[in-house]
Amino acid sequence: MLEPKKHYDVLVIGGGIAGQETALNLANLGYKIALVEKDYSIGGKMILLSKVFPTLDCAACITTPKVSETARHPNIDVFTYSQVEDIFKQERGFRFTLRQKPRYVTEDCTGCQLCEQVCPVVVEDEYQYGLIGRKAIFIPHSIANPRIAAIDIEHCTLCGLCENVCPPKSIDFTQQERVDEIYATAVVLATGYKLFDPTIIKRYGYGKYKNVVTAMQMERQLVPTRPFNNILRPSDGKVPDNIAYVLCTGSRDVTLGNPICSQVCCMYSTKQAQLLMGALPMADVTLYYINIRAFGKGFCEFYQQARSMGVGYVKGKVGRIFEKEDGNLILRYEDIETGEVAEAEHDLVVLSIGILPNKDYQNLFKNVRVEHDPYNYVRQVDELTSPARTSVDGVFVAGTASGPMDIPDTILSAGAASSETASYLRKVYKEIQPSLS
Amino acid sequence: MKIGVYICHCGSNIADHVNIEEVRKAIQEQTDAYVVKDVMFACSDSSQKEIVEDIKTKGLDAIVVASCSPKLHLPTFREVARRGGLNPYKYIQVNIREQCSWAHSDDKKGATNKAIRLIKAGIEKARFSEALDPIKIDAVNAVAVVGAGIAGLRAAIELADMGTYVYLIEREYFIGGRVTQWNELFTTNQTGREIITKLYHQLISYKNITLFTGAEIVETSGSVGNMQIKVRIKPRYVKPDCVFDLDKFEKAIEVCPVEVEDEFNFGLTKRKAIYKNYPGEFPEVPAIDFDHCTKCGECLKVCEGIDLEQKEEFLSLNVGAILLATGFDPYEPKQGEYGYGQVNNVITLQQFKRLIELCPDELVYNGHKVRSIAYIYCVGSRQQNGPNRYCSRYCCTAAMHTALLVKEKYTDVRNFHFTRGIRTYGKQEHIYHEALEQGDVVFQSFNDPLCEVEEQDGKPVVKINDFLTRGKPIELETDLVVLITGMVPRKNNTIAQLLKVPVGRDHFFNEIHLKLRPVETVIDGVFISGASQGPKNIMESVNSALAAASKANNLVKKGFISIEPTIAFVDTDKCQWCGKCLEICPFDAFEKVEEGGKQVARVITSLCKGCGMCLPVCPEDALQLHNYTDEQIESMIDDLIRA
Repeated sequence: MLEPKKHYDVLVIGGGIAGQETALNLANLGYKIALVEKDYSIGGKMILLSKVFPTLDCAACITTPKVSETARHPNIDVFTYSQVEDIFKQERGFRFTLRQKPRYVTEDCTGCQLCEQVCPVVVEDEYQYGLIGRKAIFIPHSIANPRIAAIDIEHCTLCGLCENVCPPKSIDFTQQERVDEIYATAVVLATGYKLFDPTIIKRYGYGKYKNVVTAMQMERQLVPTRPFNNILRPSDGKVPDNIAYVLCTGSRDVTLGNPICSQVCCMYSTKQAQLLMGALPMADVTLYYINIRAFGKGFCEFYQQARSMGVGYVKGKVGRIFEKEDGNLILRYEDIETGEVAEAEHDLVVLSIGILPNKDYQNLFKNVRVEHDPYNYVRQVDELTSPARTSVDGVFVAGTASGPMDIPDTILSAGAASSETASYLRKVYKEIQPSLS
Repeated sequence: MKIGVYICHCGSNIADHVNIEEVRKAIQEQTDAYVVKDVMFACSDSSQKEIVEDIKTKGLDAIVVASCSPKLHLPTFREVARRGGLNPYKYIQVNIREQCSWAHSDDKKGATNKAIRLIKAGIEKARFSEALDPIKIDAVNAVAVVGAGIAGLRAAIELADMGTYVYLIEREYFIGGRVTQWNELFTTNQTGREIITKLYHQLISYKNITLFTGAEIVETSGSVGNMQIKVRIKPRYVKPDCVFDLDKFEKAIEVCPVEVEDEFNFGLTKRKAIYKNYPGEFPEVPAIDFDHCTKCGECLKVCEGIDLEQKEEFLSLNVGAILLATGFDPYEPKQGEYGYGQVNNVITLQQFKRLIELCPDELVYNGHKVRSIAYIYCVGSRQQNGPNRYCSRYCCTAAMHTALLVKEKYTDVRNFHFTRGIRTYGKQEHIYHEALEQGDVVFQSFNDPLCEVEEQDGKPVVKINDFLTRGKPIELETDLVVLITGMVPRKNNTIAQLLKVPVGRDHFFNEIHLKLRPVETVIDGVFISGASQGPKNIMESVNSALAAASKANNLVKKGFISIEPTIAFVDTDKCQWCGKCLEICPFDAFEKVEEGGKQVARVITSLCKGCGMCLPVCPEDALQLHNYTDEQIESMIDDLIRA
């Protein structure tokens, strides 16, 4: 575990692209950064994506360099599998507790994965969104950073097989968590978003019908290191040839308490449809939508391209999904074009799940309150002219912590957070020591 | 010489169509490469570490990574070389993804064979590569921000805050840009002027910001870190040191006999030749529009602050970088487009926003009270047959928000929206929701044109085949038609032409990479922000302005900049100075010098970009490019053509 410094210029909470971009911008100006990530690897959700719209860049190819630049920047200390707790605002800056949790594997790990081969415990792999299993000792995913194994102690049987095979003897069951009290002059919230859990919509049968999957599960099937090296439907491993997308699953839905639009689902579904047309040239892909929100730079053109490739777009909200005996699914939807309730059969259904606020930040601060907006995202107190400012002086927000946004907007928002943080630091340090100007 | 070769699978991006195992074997057997390995993702941290280890422990002299385009990862692997203790220019990238796997996805054998040849050529290039050091040049810690709209103002203030000197250059006589033309803004309902007033007061409190209005960059020279710009400042015809008596200026405006169409109000009203766009505008003194002024002298009689003899001035400034925040133009509908200019009572959203402000109590247009409004969306955007294929992004929300305002202000108005599908993305959804709740009616069509506008009894009638009601033809007689016009790139963007800023398919400024480098351009030291890069709402513009400020500050703050050393060099023994190199060089990077008793060419290192244009024109073959030497290129060709 990393021994933290006593004082950092900036505490960045969240190691996704927003957190990394902010940390890198500030570190390049010479500021010392503590980047704290609760997961085993930095990279956030983006590192798990396949290709990204509208340029179809391979997500791994554009995140890994950023991840590795962050990881080895001399001004950034990255704490993975760690938590920030109890932040107190002080006269100048913030005091907080940093809890580094044990992975039970030391930094000597070379990522050889021999331990994974011998571990007898198999559990669902959360990084593959349950598509396949993983072991109790595991490397989160092929491009994880740090590429160090971790032991999922809840499932580990302490059989010790991994200890026996590990070449650098990096397994350490005695590892303890490390708790430090640290200071930072400013805080950046880059805590990202949560994905909507579609089991809540019983009508769609997710979790009950095997061939109803989420878009994130499809995303993992489409990544360059895809688990099946092909697109397969879960019930019988058949290659699907008639795929449906149900848009606005969990978004724009007052009944679910999420009335707003998630801003990315139309486009990621359109992107997946294009990728599927490439991977399965014979397959039909149909998107059931309310409105197609292809608003960003190059998005509308990308959407038109999907249409001309033959992706079907049906305006109509899906009301209910039924399962047939052969695992195929019947979608019942309101077809706006005909004005009638219609049914269609598909052999795989992808739910384009929306994004929800990650509310973790709401309990972090002890003596001040970071306000939230009506949807539980971090409230931008000066949305139009200082979008990164929050209700607490010295606390800034970057990326989807303040609302749904796509990758280009996240990078810009992180850019804004870094420059506002830099200005803030300059102001604070000038007060302490006027000659620093 | 020990050369290390790393062949990347790129997950399945390369491995799907190139047989990596075969490539690795071929390179191992047919070349003298010291290390040959294949890796899943060469750019991943673990592979990077592996390469660094190899360089250190095996004592490699050069490395070759066969992966993606150097556009993506050249800096990544140069850094890997550096960390291993190798000169970064002893690293060669071979592109077997775009050039083999993706280009020949139908021919695995051919793609594999091509990859082998390209890697062999890469090994040759590495063999003759030279160790180079980046060229360090001094950087001026000053940035010219072009455009004082919301993006430019915010970028200027932030740069100044971060300790960079700012020249804020605005073409108009007044600051604030388009934002001042809108009243209440989504989603905060602040007014544009409120915001600009706040920013203006902030701006003038900084000692390290100089604001120029009526100013335009007319010439640029130099390069990143040290750019010279010449600024032309139009006279305002107001004495700079005059007694600041606003009443007298008001009087001067009153007595001016010239009336011209007021562009600020999109022609809805008239203004005088001496004018301000609105009371309380910044800077607070008016300006005289000399194209229309008749020099009658009436204003001089009532206000001694006016000076009709002022001449235009030129200033030379020295900056390290330029940040463009030149904004957009609203789309101007063609004559007859949805009845514009032909049917009575058809106006644009921009005009409508001004009209709302000009009608405090009752909404009146052309002398008639307006009770029903038809909003026609996507005018000038998402064209199926026109050049603007893109979505202008802000307009759906702007239109819905305006409809809300109208209903709140004039209560007895009914709103009808003719749309292609509403795109109130993200949290803006609540505005759409509120509009529906207040009883607004939405129609939709996928046709192009979306609907038709005709005139019947002096009133516009909108006809649509409404998709939402099974394509039913609907006719609506209305008092006013508002065309929801999108954003188009600025006309007459001279600075863009001077700097040769690249534009995309949509003709907005183009960034290097939408995700990795969204505010940088291929021209070093030129940054883009706001709607100049593509349609954006205010928050998005400000985000991009602040991001650009952060990058520009980062570039110039250290006082020096490192630039690529892969530039041209002259063999002075061969050179006979004929001047052909200077003639063809797009960057004027050559000068004539005396050396060894004769005149020869010398490369000006801070200007040369290493484009190589000069090489083929040199009659004496005296020019070469570092790390693209004849020796390298010839040995590469030899290996490429060898069967």
